[in-house]
Amino acid sequence: MTAASPLERSLARLLNYGTWLASAAIAAGLGLVAMHGSIGASHPENVSWMWLATAGIGLLILLPVMRVLLMLLFFLYRRDYRLALAAVLVLTIILTGVVLGLRTASGAAG
Amino acid sequence: MDISFAWWLFAVAVGTSALGGMLGMASGIFIVPVLTIFGHVEMHKAIGASIISVIACSCGGAAPFLNSRLTNVRLAIVLEVATTLGALTGVLLAGLIPIPYLFFLFAVILFLSAQQMLSKRGAVLSANTGADCCRWAGALKLHSTYPDLALARDVDYQVRRLPAGMGLMYGAGLISALLGIGSGVLKIPAMDTALRLPIKVSSATSNFMIGVTAAASAGAYFMRGSVITAIAGPVALGSVIGAVLGARILIRLSNEKLRLLFIVVLMILGLQMLLEAFGIHLMGRAA
Repeated sequence: MTAASPLERSLARLLNYGTWLASAAIAAGLGLVAMHGSIGASHPENVSWMWLATAGIGLLILLPVMRVLLMLLFFLYRRDYRLALAAVLVLTIILTGVVLGLRTASGAAG
Repeated sequence: MDISFAWWLFAVAVGTSALGGMLGMASGIFIVPVLTIFGHVEMHKAIGASIISVIACSCGGAAPFLNSRLTNVRLAIVLEVATTLGALTGVLLAGLIPIPYLFFLFAVILFLSAQQMLSKRGAVLSANTGADCCRWAGALKLHSTYPDLALARDVDYQVRRLPAGMGLMYGAGLISALLGIGSGVLKIPAMDTALRLPIKVSSATSNFMIGVTAAASAGAYFMRGSVITAIAGPVALGSVIGAVLGARILIRLSNEKLRLLFIVVLMILGLQMLLEAFGIHLMGRAA
């Protein structure tokens, strides 16, 4: 049976290492906060380490976007412009979604 | 919130994500009810944690599928144009459609999918008909092969009726955004019935696509402050571990067992959604 292609292997590595890095940040952040006895954000001394777990969650959200970016670069390198266009469209739509979400959030807050 | 609650969140996420991973879907559809009913977590915070777990399931479970060539990445990026566009439409439409209609729509789609998966298969995969059915997929070079461990060889498959598949994916993205869940449960039947993909390819490709569909709404939730780290953190950690376990089981499981398990889950979720549509909150879900 044939082996995975370079693109498949790169994507697997990106998502694998990215997920473990994000998980490690979340685990370390929560662990450090838990050492103070509680993970409630109401304790001021805990907020200082909560940022690490929050950053891990932020990284997790960015991972799918980064893998579309990796696919875009790969398709451009292979001169596969039809699929590169698909990747550009996906990135544009995600970005539009985030902007729309931010707008509705600020609208709801205001 | 104490440490034992964090461990409970972690355990729930491991269990639901392993089940979701086995079915090639994320755990969001299970996590929201469990967190709100048993954990008494506020709905929006549960959704915020659930959307993170959807991404964690997708990213954490992707590597084994990619390395064993079950994921069709070329097909995924093409279909993601439709799912993300559908999700964007869903974000715009959210709030305009009454919630009971959405639950009813969801129930109908789940039952239809279960019914389609139960019948209609069999001879379809081996019967590769004329070039007319696959013109779009051929132009984009989406046909591929996947390794079948039971047969110990590569099996060729064609991607059929791409425009129909794109249409269904748009709908799947739209409905998933409206209902605030991962959309694997809708994507797999769409790939199964329209594109006629082998079920393991459908499951793996769906798992790969879920993360991208969820990323846009997750980004917005994150910025808005609906993602509470104390809740989403343990859930994300548990989801990563559960997804890895589920993906490993999927590769070993037979296609027929997987199909049966999937049909059972579709029926249970469909029934739950139908009850919600008529205002019977068996799972205690607040609208």
